Amino acid sequence: MKTSASHLSDEQLLLAAEGELSKRDAKLVEAHLEACWQCRARRQELAQAVTDFVHSNQQEFDVLLPPGAGPRALLKARLAEVAGAQPAQHQSWFLFSGSLAAAAAICAIVALAFALSRFSTVSHNPSRMHGVVYIPDSRLTPGATLLESRLAVCTSTNINNKAVPASLQREVFEEYGIAGADPHAYEVDYLVTPALGGAEDIHNLWPHSNSATVWNAQVKDALEDRLRDMVCGGSLDLTEAQREIAGNWIAAYKKYFHTDKPLAEHCNRCAR
Amino acid sequence: MFSRSADSVLLPLDLTASGAESSHRRARLQDQVTSLFDQFREPLLRYLWSLGLSLPDGEEVLQEVFLSLYQHLDRGKPLDHVRGWLFRVAHNLGLKRRQRVRRATETHTDADHEDLAVDPSPNPEAQLAHSQTKRRLLAVVDALPEQDRRCLYLRAEGLRYREIAGILDMSLGAVPLSLTRSLARIARANDATNPERSNR
Repeated sequence: MKTSASHLSDEQLLLAAEGELSKRDAKLVEAHLEACWQCRARRQELAQAVTDFVHSNQQEFDVLLPPGAGPRALLKARLAEVAGAQPAQHQSWFLFSGSLAAAAAICAIVALAFALSRFSTVSHNPSRMHGVVYIPDSRLTPGATLLESRLAVCTSTNINNKAVPASLQREVFEEYGIAGADPHAYEVDYLVTPALGGAEDIHNLWPHSNSATVWNAQVKDALEDRLRDMVCGGSLDLTEAQREIAGNWIAAYKKYFHTDKPLAEHCNRCAR
Repeated sequence: MFSRSADSVLLPLDLTASGAESSHRRARLQDQVTSLFDQFREPLLRYLWSLGLSLPDGEEVLQEVFLSLYQHLDRGKPLDHVRGWLFRVAHNLGLKRRQRVRRATETHTDADHEDLAVDPSPNPEAQLAHSQTKRRLLAVVDALPEQDRRCLYLRAEGLRYREIAGILDMSLGAVPLSLTRSLARIARANDATNPERSNR
C-alpha cells in the first residue's frame, strides 16, 4: 500500500473504516492513525459525513414511507396468480368485473392497480380530525375505474357525477365509522370521478366533509375538470390521471395548478 | 463506516426439498418471496426513490422485481446473493421505468418529491426541524454525478463494494474512489456550514 509521506488519503481512510483493506494494509493505516492527529480528525470528518447522509436520507424517506400491507397483499395475489392458484379475494375482483362485462361489454372493474396508490403520507392516513374528512382512507377507498378508453371518456356527454344511491351512501358511512353522522355534513363523493372513468363502486366512494373549508369538494371538482381537459387535450394519459387523483387528490391539485393553496376561483369558502 | 451494513443478512431459500410436489413447492416459494419482500421492500423502495422515481412508480417496480424473483427461482435458477440480485434487478427496472415516466410526463422533478411529502395538516415545528440541515446536505448529494450518487445510496443500503460494482457495472476499484469523492464533498459542505467542525 502506498501512503503519502505525511498523510493517508481519503480513500485509504475509507477502505480502512469499511474493513476493505488487507490485514497488512489495515495495520499500516492503524499505525499511522495512532501517530497522526490530522488523519484521525479527517477520518472523523468522513465518518460524520456518512452519519449526516444516512440520517438525512432515512429521515426524509421515513416521513414518506407508506405502509406495506397493501403492496404486500397485491404481491401475494400476483404470485398466486402466476402460480395458478389465485386466492379468494383476488378472484372476487375479477368475478365482479366479469359480471359487469356480461352486462356491458366495454366495462370491467379494475381496482388492484389502485392498491398501488395506497402510499403517500396522506393517503394512508385519513384526515378525520374533528370529524372533517378531506382525504379518503386509502384502505377503504383505493379507487376503482371502468376500463374505458380515452375516446369513450372524452366523447361522453354526461360528465356530471351521477347521484350515489342512498343504500350505497349508507354503506360508505358505515365503512368509515360515521353511520350516526348527520348525512348533510358529508357528500359521498367519487374518488375517481366518472368523468375520468371512475366506477360507481364502494371502493371509489368516500364521505367528503362539507365542513372542509379549504380542500373541499368544489376544489376537487376543479381538479377533475382540469385533469379531464388535459386527458382529452392529449397532454395527460388517462391512467395517469386516474392514478394521480386516486393517490392523493390534494397533491395532484397542487401539482397541476402549481400552487400550495386552492386558487380563489376554485374555493369560495377558503380562508384567505 | 456506514451504519446499515448489518442489513446484509440473507434469508436462505430452501429450494432443494420441494421435489415433485409442485403445488406445495410453489406455495412455499411464494411464502419465501413474500418474506423477502417484507425484508427488502423498504431499502429497495428508498433506493428507487433516490433514482428519482415517485413512490407509486417505485412500488410498481418492486412488484415486477419480486415477480421476477419468483419466476427466476421457480425455473430452478441459482441465486447465491439475494440482496445483490434484488438491487440489480430493481436498479435496471427502475431506470427503465424512469425513462418511460419521463417520456410520458416530461419531467419528474424534485418538486414531485415535495408533492408527495406534503401533509395537509402540517406541523410547522416538525417541518422546520427537518428542513435546513437536510436540505443543504441533500442539495450536495443531488449535485453529485449520477453514478456517484447511486454508489452512495447503494452503500447506504448496506451493499458491499463488490455488490455495488456488479449492480452499477463498474470496476471494484472505482467504488471506493466514487464514495470518497462523495463523502469529501459532503464533509466540505459540513465544514462550510459548521466551521467549528475540524478541518485540515
